[in-house]
Amino acid sequence: MGISIERKFTEQVRPSRAVFLKWPYGHPLGEAGATRQHRVVLTEAFKALVTIEKPGQIIDLPFRWKREKYE
Amino acid sequence: MEFARIKNRFIAMVFTRFPSLARSAAGKVPPLKFDQSPWAPFTKPLASARIGLVTTAGVHLKSDKPFDMADSTGDPTFRVIPSNAMAGDMMITHDYYDHSDADKDINIVFPLERLRELAAEGVIGGVTERYFSFMGHIDENHFPRFLEEQLPQVAAMLLEDGADAVLVTPG
Repeated sequence: MGISIERKFTEQVRPSRAVFLKWPYGHPLGEAGATRQHRVVLTEAFKALVTIEKPGQIIDLPFRWKREKYE
Repeated sequence: MEFARIKNRFIAMVFTRFPSLARSAAGKVPPLKFDQSPWAPFTKPLASARIGLVTTAGVHLKSDKPFDMADSTGDPTFRVIPSNAMAGDMMITHDYYDHSDADKDINIVFPLERLRELAAEGVIGGVTERYFSFMGHIDENHFPRFLEEQLPQVAAMLLEDGADAVLVTPG
């Protein structure tokens, strides 16, 4: 499963499963040192691995860049 | 450092600060396109699955050969990174995105410590012995080598290492 930060490319490459975050390049897991944030992204990616049943589906994650609290 | 590399790094910093500019520029790059998605059902419980990791973020061991930044059309080759490597053992060679934050914490592009934690907690069954890294700037002239030689080698090694699923991260 892929973590995408560039939806257009992901739609063209068509990985089997992906989660998309509208976050800046160089930050697919989040901010440096933000362990909890990284874990949330990984948890969502693994959830997608288990739940996606349609090849090529991209799940848009709701997390806004630097505007969420990860507790 | 040569002028072209300084220019690329400056543009990468601007793109990180202004993501809409990056997305506009990215739209002009001829991308890889496929008509179908590959598919294999994932039936194993996550807690017993072995997870592999592949990145396009240009990560490599400090002791390994850096990706080729002299070729403006990119570098289709990959590097092998042992999954038990330490964050301090690695560096990034990739002038086409701003990796100054990833230089401070490699996990934001290559979450090897996070995967190790999840394995220790039993959330995932484990990780493969080897992880793999590409440098995601690969132009069309390199597509044949990338698709027909390098990617199949990585896929074969992931199978050899018993990967049940693979996490792919960009830079």
